[in-house]
Amino acid sequence: MVKYLAKRIGRSLITLFIIICVVFILMRQMPIEGYFQNFDKLTEAQIQAGLEEQGLLDPMPVQLLHFFQNMLKGDFGVSHSYRVNVPVTEILADKLPISIKLGSLSILVSLILGIPLGTIMARFKSRIPDKLGTLFIVFIQAVPAAVYYLFIQMYGTLLLDIPLLFDESNWKSWILPVFSMSLGNIAYYGMWLRRYMVDESNKDYVRLAKAKGASGNSIMFRHIFRNAFVPMVQYLPSSFLNTVIGSIYVESLYSIPGMGGLLVTVIKGNDNNMVQAIVLLYATVGVIGLLLGDIMMVILDPRISLSGKEGER
Amino acid sequence: MARTIRDHVSEKLEKNMEDSLREALQGGAETGHEETAADGKQNGSSASRNNSSSDDEADLFTFADYDEAESERAGYTNYSYWGSTVRMFFKDKGAVFCLIVMIAIIAFTIIQPYLPGQRDPYTINTDSELFIPLRNVAPCAEYWFGTNSIGQDLWARIWAGTRTSLFIGFAVAMVEAVVGITMGVLWGYVRKLDFLFTEIYNVLDNIPQTIVLILIAYIMTPSVKTLIFAMSLTGWIGMARFIRNQILIIRDRDYNLASRCLGTPTKRLVFKNLLPYLVSVIMLRMALAIPAAIGNEVFITYIGLGLPATTASLGQLIEDGRQVMMNASQRYQLIFPAVVLSIVTISFYIVGNAFSDAADPKNHR
Amino acid sequence: MANELILSVKNLNVKFHLRGQELHAIRNVSLDIYRGESIAIVGESGSGKSVFTRTFMGLLDSNGYIPSGEILYYGNGPAGGTDTQKNSPSSGIDLSKLKKERDWRAIRGGEIAMIMQDPMTSLNPLKSIGSQIAEAIRLHQPDIKGSAAINDKVIEYLREVGIPEPERRCKQYAHEFSGGMRQRVVIAIALACNPKILICDEPTTALDVTIQDQIIHLLKELKEKYQLTIVFITHDLGVVANIADRVAVMYAGDFVEIGMAEEIFYDPRHPYTWALLSSLPQLGERGEKLFTIKGTPPNLFKEVKGDAFAPRNPRALKIDYIKEPPYFEISPTHKAKTWLLDPRAPKVEPPEAIRNLKDLDSVYG
Repeated sequence: MVKYLAKRIGRSLITLFIIICVVFILMRQMPIEGYFQNFDKLTEAQIQAGLEEQGLLDPMPVQLLHFFQNMLKGDFGVSHSYRVNVPVTEILADKLPISIKLGSLSILVSLILGIPLGTIMARFKSRIPDKLGTLFIVFIQAVPAAVYYLFIQMYGTLLLDIPLLFDESNWKSWILPVFSMSLGNIAYYGMWLRRYMVDESNKDYVRLAKAKGASGNSIMFRHIFRNAFVPMVQYLPSSFLNTVIGSIYVESLYSIPGMGGLLVTVIKGNDNNMVQAIVLLYATVGVIGLLLGDIMMVILDPRISLSGKEGER
Repeated sequence: MARTIRDHVSEKLEKNMEDSLREALQGGAETGHEETAADGKQNGSSASRNNSSSDDEADLFTFADYDEAESERAGYTNYSYWGSTVRMFFKDKGAVFCLIVMIAIIAFTIIQPYLPGQRDPYTINTDSELFIPLRNVAPCAEYWFGTNSIGQDLWARIWAGTRTSLFIGFAVAMVEAVVGITMGVLWGYVRKLDFLFTEIYNVLDNIPQTIVLILIAYIMTPSVKTLIFAMSLTGWIGMARFIRNQILIIRDRDYNLASRCLGTPTKRLVFKNLLPYLVSVIMLRMALAIPAAIGNEVFITYIGLGLPATTASLGQLIEDGRQVMMNASQRYQLIFPAVVLSIVTISFYIVGNAFSDAADPKNHR
Repeated sequence: MANELILSVKNLNVKFHLRGQELHAIRNVSLDIYRGESIAIVGESGSGKSVFTRTFMGLLDSNGYIPSGEILYYGNGPAGGTDTQKNSPSSGIDLSKLKKERDWRAIRGGEIAMIMQDPMTSLNPLKSIGSQIAEAIRLHQPDIKGSAAINDKVIEYLREVGIPEPERRCKQYAHEFSGGMRQRVVIAIALACNPKILICDEPTTALDVTIQDQIIHLLKELKEKYQLTIVFITHDLGVVANIADRVAVMYAGDFVEIGMAEEIFYDPRHPYTWALLSSLPQLGERGEKLFTIKGTPPNLFKEVKGDAFAPRNPRALKIDYIKEPPYFEISPTHKAKTWLLDPRAPKVEPPEAIRNLKDLDSVYG
């Protein structure tokens, strides 16, 4: 177990290291405007001095080394256009809590709705609940979220009689963003749970449980649901990532003062350090999500030997 | 959100196709078996035997001629993989409808500019007398879908946009297929590379695809080419892994092992078993890559990294529509593109899935 | 052996919907099973052995159904663990008419239990084997209450089926057991249901030869101890000789010969039984080719005319192609369905190899 964990965490760290290097190097290929507040008014000499001061003229490996050194100190540079000369970490610290709140709520909602959806669809396979569920899933999967989010915002705000933009203190204001962000995961959980449950229900051990005389519901919940849920578990953390990505759009649509909305703002403002930090943050969330998924799998499934036979997800 | 579809695509492929390939291979074995059965059928039918029987009861209790071919005749129903796949597909009325819609849309986007009375999607229409731009004209006989906020014809723009988006989708699917298959074959076939590729895969698979998309779009100047590049940068990995797994399965199947013992080279096994099957995989992949690509394009356009205004795209139309959506009289500027986009993505999605189900021999009953 | 009926199948037919066609899997079959006997159903793969016994438990696949026939089950009356009114020994329950899940649950496990072919897949991989046995105890032995008592009983059953260190092993999962040990666990589950009839569906096919023997011995022991009626499905005649009192030979969904084990082995009458016996490896002469039955079983999508085995039978009579033979009784316990037994038929001697069988008694010991 420990060996497996060490190996798995080690791989995640290597991945992160590679991601950081690649992102950093790519960001250095950007036009240099992104490192200045009012680039157009600066003279050539001032630009050179600015670049020099930020260490952008050093050879790439040196820059990278500096970046890692600073990163370990918690220094990701300063913002250049969003909030001038304010450290990036300070800005992010402001924005993070509301994004986490929103994300957790939406995950909760999608679990509460998605798991029953999948279970009901599997239990009534090929009957009306299954067909309705499939219709919903097809719609959510096929139509880009970027499109149905707009319709939820447009008609939802009219229906609930609330302003278009987010107001943290009004609970009604939370409904639409949370619901929007949940839809994708509801469909996702529903689809996979149904699929795994149907798969499991065709297995021999279910036949044996039936031959034992266990009731349909008991088989459904004690045998099938449990076994179908285990492979589901590995998707839970990565679906957290889906939520985080969804938040980029949703937060920006409703002007929610979180991380996602911020990313859109700083992209439009060409604020390189901010973009870099946020991209790295998202990548980290993604890597951690997959790591957690694998670890949960190992804990839940006794078949996966603890001596470390990974790569067989 | 982009990841949801991507994930779905690759996982569905993995799960469905791995099973189905196994089945297909078994099906293939079965097919070979049937050929002999069909041969036997020609040699002699039971009818001829019946004729020879007379009313003479005693004759009935004499020995019948034994024909070895006849004993093989029984066999099972004729089964052909592609025949069953097509039949299964056409059984699904919804999918057939979507297929018709899909073909109609593709055909229409191609011929639309050449039809009479079509306007240019980029021309700003002006009033013929006052020479002021015809902004936000509600849908009417002249402008079927109305005009946008600077006076361009929405009908023409929607089809131009669909054309762009479909092109991006097809291009991404093609790149994914070509790169993915090449890498996958190398990965599965050259054993020395397996470890290296697996490690690379484990790293790349950990990187959120939407983040890559945003990053690449941010760094490069937005254009159709850069969008295609950014979108296909990660998609091929799933395809490659899928192909690699198939090759491993084919290589290690018991009957293929047996076949190898008899001297059939792996290369031949892989190509004989894999290539026909790849066609269906690529088609599925194409069908599902298009909704994903369209979704990504809308997203990228929203965050300000989309195509320049000189290229109409569905993402851009949605974004333009969004800006006026709270104004009830101009809401059509969001609704029309959204409806067309949804019809396109849903029909591709349903056709893709129905095809993958039909291509799964487990469903051939 | 007491001649008390426990299960009586009358003119049973089973059909499947498959690829838009109907497969007639069990064709008008009758069979009586007596209390306390062990009867073997023998036949090649696909002859319908498993389908036949699955109808006793309502476990046909969803595309299968029983168009006609009766399966009368005579439980042991008031002492039975289930509904006593329905279960009066005189009338019996017609299992073929049971539709409701609840009615079936009264039969499954407690009356008729089953051991399946592949012990690798028939245990739930995510539950400890102890809890899977406990589930059966809770369902069928309601007088054992409290987790400590149930746990003791679980350990007792594990010891009964010969699993060493049952206290430790009951907490383990299926993947920690070898194939033979898993089959023992499956047997323990079946025992814990406290059944009257135990259906063993090729319980040794997936196991090593050495393990096969142990499992057969275990089943024999348990049969005596728990007074079980055993229905043994197999295509291994060696196993049959070892365990069965009676043998029913199935071909293409019909019993072609039924008789006591000695009668089937020493005085077989149906050409198919001859063919089966001739293909026993034990009978092969050193240096000679082993006997095989030419051809394939008939296509059950079409109605079979006459004797289903005729096309593969080198000694078929002309009438075999026209008219289905009735059962000819050889002794009160032995009957066969072949025109060769008709007085008008020419005299046909069984093949040389089988005649030697009488001296080869020891082969099956």
